[in-house]
Amino acid sequence: MAELDDRELERTLGELGERLAYPRADLWPAVRQRILRGPSRRLWAWPRLAPVAVTLGVILLVVLALSPAGIRIFSLPGVQIFQSKATPSPAPKPTASAALTFGIPTTLDQARREGSGVILAPTDPALGAPDEVYIDGASTLKRVTLVYRSRPGIPVSATVGASALVTEFLGTVDQNVMGKVVGPDTTLEQVTVDGAQGFWLAGAPHQFFYRDAYGNFIQETLRLAENTLIWERNGTIYRLEAQVSKVDALRIAATFR
Amino acid sequence: MRRYQAVATRTAYVITGATADAEEAAQDGFTKAYFALDRFRAGAPFRPWLLRIVANEAKNRRKAAGRRPTVDLSVAEDRPSGDTALSPEAAALASERRESVLTALRQLREEDRLVIAYRYFFELSEAEMADALGVAKGTVKSRLSRAIARLRQLAAGEVRLDG
Repeated sequence: MAELDDRELERTLGELGERLAYPRADLWPAVRQRILRGPSRRLWAWPRLAPVAVTLGVILLVVLALSPAGIRIFSLPGVQIFQSKATPSPAPKPTASAALTFGIPTTLDQARREGSGVILAPTDPALGAPDEVYIDGASTLKRVTLVYRSRPGIPVSATVGASALVTEFLGTVDQNVMGKVVGPDTTLEQVTVDGAQGFWLAGAPHQFFYRDAYGNFIQETLRLAENTLIWERNGTIYRLEAQVSKVDALRIAATFR
Repeated sequence: MRRYQAVATRTAYVITGATADAEEAAQDGFTKAYFALDRFRAGAPFRPWLLRIVANEAKNRRKAAGRRPTVDLSVAEDRPSGDTALSPEAAALASERRESVLTALRQLREEDRLVIAYRYFFELSEAEMADALGVAKGTVKSRLSRAIARLRQLAAGEVRLDG
């Protein structure tokens, strides 16, 4: 009985590596549920830190509640809404460098490969194909922005010179994951987007908070400062900004493929 | 997450040898990693960090189940095979070699199986292996070398070569 030589053993191991009956199930739905349930007790590496974390959480909530920038006005399972006493300052006029803030120019195909989450694009003829696609962010949290410069019947926003923006990134709108600051003239409505939970914001320019996939609390100003539809599906947040009616926004959103 | 799903579940499978356990361990690992992200060092490679967590979950799961020393790793029948390009005799020999090495792998210690899988199944770099195993870079080579030596010993009674 002879032993395999090194090359033969390596090749055999390589073949085995390709053939093992690895599990193939998509784990994300179950993981997402576990994340939404929060860390279980045994997940605490240092149980003594739990009271500290709770205290910090309470302090954070109190600071938010008492913050002059916002008074909590609305709370839904899955979203915390804060209303600003003053509308945030209008975003600056578009400049050549404004587009750069969207990230690195890319193609839709490339963005689908490299973006975090499931990258979709509306197929509604009112928008057609995006004029520009950008990708931005760290390797594990890449955000994709689709820019629709000028579309008939949809006003071009003065802020970045586009009729519509679609932004897609990892996150969730479930409980304690997404919060939003809206201006005093902004209306908010909970909607269903093709079966997914969503929010329709109409009116004045607004900022918003959300939690990214790492649980970080992120503050952001909407780019177009126009009506906005936000919804989440399978861990990816989709945001459509355009000066269109709610009905039109929902129609467009239903065509995301 | 889906980017790392395959390598995470595969790592767990190599340790547990059971599909259900591997899926559970990978889910535990992803969840634990999510809530531990504040302890993830910015700029460090993410994959080995995640694999270390998943591997620990898989080891704990196997330990808790009081499993026997061997694992039930198996080969999927529907995976693409390169054997079609071989003569029937060569394909049969290759299949026999795989079966013998697989039998040896099933008997290997968890740590040895894992280091072999990282190198030959998932093709991790030395640096990634060191991070994933939580050892110094220099230790990876010696650990892999010892694992291969044990694999050879176990397979020696099984493998036949031409001529």
